Amino acid sequence: MGALRVILVGLLLLSSLGVNAGEKLLRGLGPEPDSLDIHLAQGVAALNVLRDLREGLMTLSVDGMPTLGAAESMLVEAGGLRVIFTLRQDLRWSDGTSLEASDFVRGWQRAVTPATAASTAQLLDVVENARDIRFGEAAVETLGIRALDTQTLEVRLTRPLPWLKWLLAHPLTYPLAEGQQKQRLGPFNGAYKLQSWVPNDRLVLQRNPYFHSHQSVAIERVDYLPVPNPNTELNLFRAGNLHITETIPPARYNWLLENYPQELQVQPYLGTFFLGLNLRRPPLADNPGLRQALSLAIDRDKLTRLVLAAGEQPANSLVPPGISGYSAATFDIELDSQLEREQQALELYQSAGYSKAKPLRLELRINSSATHRRTALAVAAMWKQTLGVITQIVNEEWKVFVNNRRQGVVTEVFRGGWIGDYPDPTTFLALFSSDNVQNWSAYKSSRYDNLLDLAGAEMDPELRQQILQRAESQLLKDMPMIPLYYYVSRHLVNQRVSGYMGNTLDIHLSRYLSLEAAP
Amino acid sequence: MLKYALNRLAWAIPTLLLLITVAFFMIRVAPGGPFDSEKSLPPEIEQNIKAKYHLDEPVIQQYFRYLGQVLRFDFGPSFQYRDWTVNQLIADGFPVSLSIGALAMLLSFVLGIGIGTMAALRQNTGLDHGLMGVAMLGISIPNFVIAPLLILAVAINLGWLPSGGWEWNWRNMVLPVITLALPVTAYIARLMRGSMIDVLNSDFIRTARAKGLSEITVIRRHAMKPALLPVISYMGPAAAGLITGSVVIERIFAIPGIGSYFVQGAMNRDYTLVMGVVIFYGVLIIAFNFIVDLIYAWLNPRIQY
Repeated sequence: MGALRVILVGLLLLSSLGVNAGEKLLRGLGPEPDSLDIHLAQGVAALNVLRDLREGLMTLSVDGMPTLGAAESMLVEAGGLRVIFTLRQDLRWSDGTSLEASDFVRGWQRAVTPATAASTAQLLDVVENARDIRFGEAAVETLGIRALDTQTLEVRLTRPLPWLKWLLAHPLTYPLAEGQQKQRLGPFNGAYKLQSWVPNDRLVLQRNPYFHSHQSVAIERVDYLPVPNPNTELNLFRAGNLHITETIPPARYNWLLENYPQELQVQPYLGTFFLGLNLRRPPLADNPGLRQALSLAIDRDKLTRLVLAAGEQPANSLVPPGISGYSAATFDIELDSQLEREQQALELYQSAGYSKAKPLRLELRINSSATHRRTALAVAAMWKQTLGVITQIVNEEWKVFVNNRRQGVVTEVFRGGWIGDYPDPTTFLALFSSDNVQNWSAYKSSRYDNLLDLAGAEMDPELRQQILQRAESQLLKDMPMIPLYYYVSRHLVNQRVSGYMGNTLDIHLSRYLSLEAAP
Repeated sequence: MLKYALNRLAWAIPTLLLLITVAFFMIRVAPGGPFDSEKSLPPEIEQNIKAKYHLDEPVIQQYFRYLGQVLRFDFGPSFQYRDWTVNQLIADGFPVSLSIGALAMLLSFVLGIGIGTMAALRQNTGLDHGLMGVAMLGISIPNFVIAPLLILAVAINLGWLPSGGWEWNWRNMVLPVITLALPVTAYIARLMRGSMIDVLNSDFIRTARAKGLSEITVIRRHAMKPALLPVISYMGPAAAGLITGSVVIERIFAIPGIGSYFVQGAMNRDYTLVMGVVIFYGVLIIAFNFIVDLIYAWLNPRIQY
């Protein structure tokens, strides 16, 4: 009897030690993925799953930096216009067939083929002939990518691309196996393969034994649960049915800080929330002083600390922090106290011809969301208090709002915001170049456009960053948008999950995670 | 009777056609399209996408193309869930909605009739007032209040049942079924009480009692059938509503049913998905109303065809 007890206790102790490999990791996904086709996927949810299932020439490290993926080496020639990749030895798809350089050619060619209708195909425009192919003016075979042999790949670019490594880690540039029709059916080349997918229920991922680094993958099975409602996600987490949530209900932030301080992970995220100003119509067109006044009158510290109150950081620039080598331009008056700012705002407001007796009237358009509504109300109140501006808040359903914002016919101020595609200032600054479709403000400045072009041609990284900084300060001087706050990513992570590391892209590949045994 | 049934079925076709036509044009009149999103698309890419889904054709041409598809029971690809066809989405989601809805229906039918009858038999007593008070609460408290309370108590604090998610076992069904059944139960109970009281006051019941039949026999043999009539006519549309899923329940419990496709489809301007679920729902409503009419005829000898 005594011996049995010793054995039992021993077994218990053993089982509580070390990593528990047999258990599945349960991850919240937010909304249902829009598509697992590498060229159609757009949403964050779909891209996150794809990064577990597939891999490009580059991939992302545990701290979210680009690192070699399917490629073993990358050789840049001809001043950055020609790049030679050598693939890893013996790369295989999840069905065991070998993965060759031609699979990358196939993938890239499909990405720019008009019939594919890839919504982010323009990201590849830097590749030779890509743009012409997209417009149907060149044959797809002329694309600047070529398999020199089964293991060597040549890519030709029209100009050197500072963020090329990030592009090579983006699902748009992943390889495609021959004869692959429905991509969700595989084969895959990532750390995991898709076992099953029931829409709005779950995606089951199983470790891929043919993955080149499969020995280092700790978790055998990962279940992604699409749970669009953050409160439902929180309930699942609290009941132990989720290890990592996609987000948190913003209203529960303080409660979570108190009750789940170890589990709550809040990190700067590569995104900025701003109010766009419509420069197509009076009174904000041709009136930069008035636009400055509106910006200065907003107490961003109060807004983030008291109104949003869920970890957001006040923003004084369009480009958020967290991009290495770049320090964002900020308002010239950054160091002034809020009181001084408000005084300056009032002066600018009055010199634009407005006063308490003759107030400015604005329409502020938002899409229906509790957070946007609170933000809009707070901003309107600050404008009213400091300047006497009379703001009418118009709340619109999502698709209606998106259309109105793009057309720019109605409204003076609208809800804006941007999440960077890659950590480079241009992903934000390009939004306001004259010909950009996302330039909802219709901001047109030849000086700004020239600076962006100049930066595009600049090879020296330090000089390039300086030019971009000049562009940003020009933008902030002209103020076609009012930055309000920088986004943060917010997750709940069970303490048994190890290997989880916060990063500004908020990308956490499952291959780096492991699950400690339950205590 | 057969002629009546065939006639009713024949009417289903123009009804459905009208439904399809109205829904088809209404969703297209709504501002914004399926591929408008936070990121505006470059015009040439938008053009490619529209061409792929035939959205660049004149609307009338799209309409007849769609009618042709529906005749072949092909609802087309979803615009939002681009890896799936609408048929696949409905086929995956409907069994889940059906099982939860049917269980909720059964539960509320049995409980509602029981409670309503009991209240009617003890009319104006404490029991009657108590039961009807609870029923009134059940109708007026929305399920998005009940559901989180149940989750907090049963799933998080007691840990007896999962707080949500879906697997094919009873543990995942209990809370959603109860939440879904509560208001319907309450409504049926109130309907049943009212009609039972009416019936119990009618002449043929007095006659039955005068013949010396026991109260149980009077209820079972004579009162029950006519008292069920209003409940049955309520059950038709209610059943169609329950088994096609509830967006609130599905969101709160993270259940992969088809209820949220109505709302999501409309919000995303996912034309094909909206049309698919509208037609599906329409067919179910027509079918259930038809079944209800047949049951009605059987219950009510005064109905002649």
